[in-house]
Amino acid sequence: MLRLVVIFLVLAAVLGALVGTDRPPPRADLTFLNRTDLNTLDPQLMSWQQDFRVAKLIGEGLVTSNVFSHDYSPMPAAAERWEVSPDGKTYTFHLRKTGWSDGSPVVAGDFLYAWMRGLLPDLGADYIGFLEHIRGGREFFRWRSDRLAAFASAVRESGGRPDPQAAQRLWEETREAFNRLVKAWAPDDRTIVIELVRPTPYFLDMVGFVTFHPLCESSVRRYEVLDPLTGRVTWDQGWTKPPKLICNGPFSVEYWQFKRDVRLRRNPYYWNAASIALDTISIPTVEDTVSTVMAFRTGAVDLVNDVLAPFRAEIVAQKAAFYREHQAEVDSLRSQGLDPVEIDRRLPPDPRKNVHVFPGFGTCFWNINCSPQLADGRNNPLADARVRRALAMAIDKKAIADGIRRVGEPVAGSLIPPGSLAQYTSPRGLGYDPERARKLLAEAGYPGGAGFITLDLLVTKDGGNELIAQSIAKDWQRELGIDTTITVQEVKVFRERLRSKNFMTARASWFGDYGDPTTFLEINRSGDGNNDRNYASPVFDELLEKASNEADPLKRLALLEDAERVLVEEDLPLIPLFYFVNICMFDANKLTGISSHPRGDQLLYKVDLFGDGKGSDRPLALPPRKAGEHHQGESGS
Amino acid sequence: MLGLIARRLVQLPIILGVIYTLTLNLAWSIPGNPLENPEGRRPQPEVAAAMQRQYKLDSFWSFYWSYLDNASGVRFVRETVTGEAQRRAEAAESNGKEAPTRRVFDLGPSLQYRDQRVNEIIGGSLPVSMTLGAAAIAIALVIGVPAGVAGAIKPNSGTDMLTLSVALVGISLPTFVIGAVLLLIFPVLLGWGRIPSWGRPIDLLLPALTLSLPFAAYIARLTRLGMIEQLKSDYVRTARAKGVSEAGVLFKHALKNAFLPVLTYLGPATAYAMTGSFVVERVFVIPGMGQHFVNAVQNKDLFLIIGVVLIYASLLIILNLIVDVLYRWVDPRIE
Repeated sequence: MLRLVVIFLVLAAVLGALVGTDRPPPRADLTFLNRTDLNTLDPQLMSWQQDFRVAKLIGEGLVTSNVFSHDYSPMPAAAERWEVSPDGKTYTFHLRKTGWSDGSPVVAGDFLYAWMRGLLPDLGADYIGFLEHIRGGREFFRWRSDRLAAFASAVRESGGRPDPQAAQRLWEETREAFNRLVKAWAPDDRTIVIELVRPTPYFLDMVGFVTFHPLCESSVRRYEVLDPLTGRVTWDQGWTKPPKLICNGPFSVEYWQFKRDVRLRRNPYYWNAASIALDTISIPTVEDTVSTVMAFRTGAVDLVNDVLAPFRAEIVAQKAAFYREHQAEVDSLRSQGLDPVEIDRRLPPDPRKNVHVFPGFGTCFWNINCSPQLADGRNNPLADARVRRALAMAIDKKAIADGIRRVGEPVAGSLIPPGSLAQYTSPRGLGYDPERARKLLAEAGYPGGAGFITLDLLVTKDGGNELIAQSIAKDWQRELGIDTTITVQEVKVFRERLRSKNFMTARASWFGDYGDPTTFLEINRSGDGNNDRNYASPVFDELLEKASNEADPLKRLALLEDAERVLVEEDLPLIPLFYFVNICMFDANKLTGISSHPRGDQLLYKVDLFGDGKGSDRPLALPPRKAGEHHQGESGS
Repeated sequence: MLGLIARRLVQLPIILGVIYTLTLNLAWSIPGNPLENPEGRRPQPEVAAAMQRQYKLDSFWSFYWSYLDNASGVRFVRETVTGEAQRRAEAAESNGKEAPTRRVFDLGPSLQYRDQRVNEIIGGSLPVSMTLGAAAIAIALVIGVPAGVAGAIKPNSGTDMLTLSVALVGISLPTFVIGAVLLLIFPVLLGWGRIPSWGRPIDLLLPALTLSLPFAAYIARLTRLGMIEQLKSDYVRTARAKGVSEAGVLFKHALKNAFLPVLTYLGPATAYAMTGSFVVERVFVIPGMGQHFVNAVQNKDLFLIIGVVLIYASLLIILNLIVDVLYRWVDPRIE
């Protein structure tokens, strides 16, 4: 018996030791939740929203967007000023004096090094297309790809013997090739000149994107690893982790415990460090959607960025009820054109008002395969634009937005969320009109759905997409007499089937990356890697082409509006369903600095907690709008 | 005893090799490209192809052998012996670079989390899961053994029925229900404890309790059965006849033997509690290893799939070995 007790005591002692060594750090000034943990802190590799959010805290590009202005205007960031040549093709940026978190100055070469890295085939950046706006970027990528292929075949011929010297030589040649081929250069440490392939009116917006963030060259180049068998360069995987990671943003990373907690600390060498009202930021990982709301309600976190809990519609409804109780006050504040967050701040404290529904820069739509043949070789009736228009007009989108989603997402007629881009007016798109839909289908040769294929709707398991598919299928059956099936697939299989065009219709969504219509429209160009629909329209392509050669910005936008009109009123390779909203939770009486702008972007270093003795405690908000205008997307109205 | 340990340790790499081959075959057949986002932008085709080559995802056999080379430690030993590693470090230094990090058993990079090595992911999450699992087993013993003994004293009595029904509920109720209810009662309504529930010793209590209940229930039933069996046996009658106190009979004589089936169960149970706490970890927001079992497969993160499977297999083998050793120590009759 004694021996059993001994076993138990040893177990307890080990347990005590394990727990005792694991102490939580003190609470940070700001604790916020991202959707999940970071995928990477490598700015050139990032392509997830949660990574971008943190990238904007720990890094800074040449310019940034003013999230507290209605037109989202570019603001000086690492560059204090810039000039654009009259032909719109050459940009000259003048860097300001600012420091990396190790105290060294940020120089022009740090940007060029990062861009060279982003253009390498070795890295495999999803956003390489952004860097290819720089003249010579594409040529550099090709040059390097060819040289790597030549290197690999030379090694094969020599019987597979690694050649470290040749790898080193190739790497040095690559750096020279970048200087020679790519038209981005540094006349001195504080100036960067960029020549573009063609005038790009949105380049200032794009150059603020995370892919263009600089790297501390003196530090990062130390982690280059050359593969003597293939000539490829990789970066030793630890370089993005503190203390190796050097940052130029308002914050630097103090530690990153994977899937647990990321902690940021103020970068004292940041040029505008005095304006930062936070010393530390903690970003714990909470993946369970219900637990994120509980974490906020128990006060463990100050801000939840994406509320995805199954009962979020109820939370949003509670806020609407709260607004109704204070209807007169809400109406009067709204009539002043105030920022919705500012309205919440001025209303009496109530936990129900802590949920905020902001318009998102993304759209949920339904993909339609436009290929002439289906995957099984049959002729594809969906290749007929009349059929696609009929399908679009037969969908009751309001039933989806109000009956299934229930979080106040506006019904979509266009691909680009209206009001998200200054000076751009999205077309209205096609409304719900079953009568016309039936006529169109009959015109196409399928009166009452007779002779039509059994139409499949492909969806993934997550996010209630099955319910949306059921609603659409029901509409098509009822209004058009079309037989439907619904196929549910794992996300990997789903993506593969879209890529190989092995589907008829499928769920889809797209989020904009920069402030220009092309961020949404380009995915419909024929042959584009993200054109899952196999849509190929000479008219649409030509409009995009014309727009990219148009020097006058307003005329260019008009051409893009025409292109979008072709997309959502004539050809319908995709059927817009609704515009996404971004639901967050925070107490407007406790903190400020969260923007309600329809572009859905945040600069979280602007957050200031009231009454903590740090920062000015002055509330930040979008400037009031004139009477008649109102903030699109905010729910509770 | 030493023979047993040696035999098991020799078997270990062979078993792991077989498991690796099976797992890789299964994981390889998952459709889709592991280097691609589930949503949004796709890499350009030439970029995607270059990445496939870099991770050897374009050829099963070159992946198979190179992973085996890295993970088994053969490469580390070879490069150390031939001086290759030394040369590389010197070359890096002469070019002003850091020498690349070397690991004896290199389980490779995660394809999904581009900044993490599988070694780091497991190194960070396994201790958390082990702590949680060990705590759960400890609680399960504290609850389960006395409950089982209480039931066995008078079989089919009210106490017995009560413990049996509670045990049945413990086995039947899924942990995500128990966990959510406990979370709702304690941190949300009463304000005790917090979310994320990790970092302080007290934070361990609710998740460990949730995880322990099915184990406690099973242990209670095992103990009860064993005790009923033992209490009927001759040596217990002899002990009672000799005038040994009832507590002495129960705990000194009967429990010692009744506990052996529980001890057998504890090996796999501990391994399971340490790695199979996915649901509890998710509900209580605990940075453990369970999540990687599920996420890795969904992401087709080959290196991580194989890594967690191999670690789980090793854990299972080692814990079973420990139980066998303890078995002999507790009951010297077993040889």
